[in-house]
Amino acid sequence: MKLLIIEDEQGLRESIERYFTVEGIICESCSSLAAAISKVTLYQYDCILLDIGLPDGEGFTLLEHLKANGKNEGVLIISARNSLDNKIKGLNLGADDYLTKPFHLAELKARIDAIFRRKAFNTTNTLNYDLISINLLAREVEVNSINIILTRKEYDMLLYFIANKGKVISKNAIAEHLWGDEIDLVDSFDFIYTHIKNIRKKLMEAAHKDYIKSVYGVGYKFL
Amino acid sequence: MKLASQYNKATLIITFLVLFIAGFIYYTTINYIVNKQLDRDLTEELDEITDYINLNQHLPKQLDFNGDQTTLTKTDQKLIEKSFYDIPYHVAQRDADSENGGIKYKIKPGRAVKALISVKGENYILTVAQSKEGSKHLTQLIIIITLGLTVFLLGILAITNKYVLNGLWKPFYHILQQLKSFNIADTNGLNLSKTNIDEFKELNDAVIIMSSRVKNDYQNLKTFTENASHEMLTPIAVITSKLDTLIQDEKLKAEQFAQITDIYAATNKLSRLNQSLLLLVKIDNDLIQDNATFNLKDVILEKERQFQELTQNKGIELIHLLEDKEITASRYLIEILINNLFNNSIKHNQTNGKIYIRLTHNKLIFQNTGENDALNNTEIFERFKKGKSSDGTGLGLTIAKNICSQYNYNLKYTFEAPFHTFKIAF
Repeated sequence: MKLLIIEDEQGLRESIERYFTVEGIICESCSSLAAAISKVTLYQYDCILLDIGLPDGEGFTLLEHLKANGKNEGVLIISARNSLDNKIKGLNLGADDYLTKPFHLAELKARIDAIFRRKAFNTTNTLNYDLISINLLAREVEVNSINIILTRKEYDMLLYFIANKGKVISKNAIAEHLWGDEIDLVDSFDFIYTHIKNIRKKLMEAAHKDYIKSVYGVGYKFL
Repeated sequence: MKLASQYNKATLIITFLVLFIAGFIYYTTINYIVNKQLDRDLTEELDEITDYINLNQHLPKQLDFNGDQTTLTKTDQKLIEKSFYDIPYHVAQRDADSENGGIKYKIKPGRAVKALISVKGENYILTVAQSKEGSKHLTQLIIIITLGLTVFLLGILAITNKYVLNGLWKPFYHILQQLKSFNIADTNGLNLSKTNIDEFKELNDAVIIMSSRVKNDYQNLKTFTENASHEMLTPIAVITSKLDTLIQDEKLKAEQFAQITDIYAATNKLSRLNQSLLLLVKIDNDLIQDNATFNLKDVILEKERQFQELTQNKGIELIHLLEDKEITASRYLIEILINNLFNNSIKHNQTNGKIYIRLTHNKLIFQNTGENDALNNTEIFERFKKGKSSDGTGLGLTIAKNICSQYNYNLKYTFEAPFHTFKIAF
């Protein structure tokens, strides 16, 4: 997957680049609208990460440029402005998703993967990882060719883990992914533990292998 | 007391006083003039009698002339100053029923003069009295005219006050009305009517300047809050992303991870605070306008499912009695409202506590068990006021309150052991 990161905040750009630079992903980045437009004109990307507030203009201009040139890159908008109008405007201009700052890198990765999957859906609708095979349309999970039943939250969590495989995901990130802003984190940490315990058990029974590793109380790692 | 009635009262008292004093002065002046006239008449009479006596050297036979009552009394006094004084005046009236030979005496006010005259070496006191009947009529006339004037003047004053005063003060009442309905968040300026009166013109100008300054300040403050909150989001995003990167480092020790966990929690709280402040600004600015009609019951049931894990975890028994209730509002805001109420009733509940939810066509009630102490009714809806044990932002109930006032719902808190009750009246 080839990814273009357009973000003017250096610290954030570097973190994203570092997090996404794993096997199979090529990251490129720039910090201005002009540079972004010249890059998308010259090269082809699978996904574009677009900040709306750029020093030399609004990110919407890039969306218009892509639309005018008939390009169909998947675009994820990241913005500090959590306004409904902006969101609708972005989605109407052809963006695939909208993420408000601040966000966890794991969340960003999961969203980018989802966009990428949707773009590549023409070929396949199953997601395979090691012994796990997920039918994304039917929301069915097979492990080691054994069908396992997961609750909605467990299914979401499994997809989230696979998108961030090999990375330590903080509990905060998991809680935000599963519950959003609705409940306070402290309360939700207990449930994360319960859910993880259940997934672990179900995967163990089918694959005889422990996929989830706990990392010093800060989070979990999916291997 | 109203300005007009206060003014009426003052004018009434003053008018009465002035007319009373004027009447009194009138009365005494006229009385004085009448007495002077009478005294002149009496002097003339006296002179006539004196002349007669001096000429004829005997007392006149007939003493009464022209209704005057004259008496001569012998005296030993050698000298008496001529003097005038008021005396009762007896008027003889024919009266058939009277015992006294059909004649009855009526007493009327009179005026008399007395002087000393001597006839053939003998001294007499001569008094001549005259009725003041005529002057009494005059006094009555004056009183009637004065009273008539008073009534007339009061009538005129009442009419003037009613029409002229009301007309004059109209701009003032208009300004007052505008000030009463002044809403700081309203973008429309004050609609003040034009007036020709300088004082009201000045008042108009002052009110307009003041209101625009207040609005300006308020707008600046809101813009500042919004911008500050927005500007903070990017640094928070940087912190979060750096932490996410940091925990990938396998060389870190357990205690470092513990510190990172704390930083995560603090960052999260910061971000929540920010989002809550932004939401408050948006509600205050009336920026969320995606009104739709939906069933509140559905929202509550949906939220109930979302919070199921939380309630179950705490062993809380949730009982609801929900009727259908269609409302027109922003679904986004109403979800936040219900969310905050749920959060509040779970967070401040005890293990194995209870939550009652009741929805009818005119009210929504959230009741929960918890600490057996009433919360401060006015403080709980204020920004950053929270319970001792609460680790929330202290903005949840403020947001709930503001959402309610946005739609003219009335959110109230009461405590009746063991239940804390939040009631929304639609």
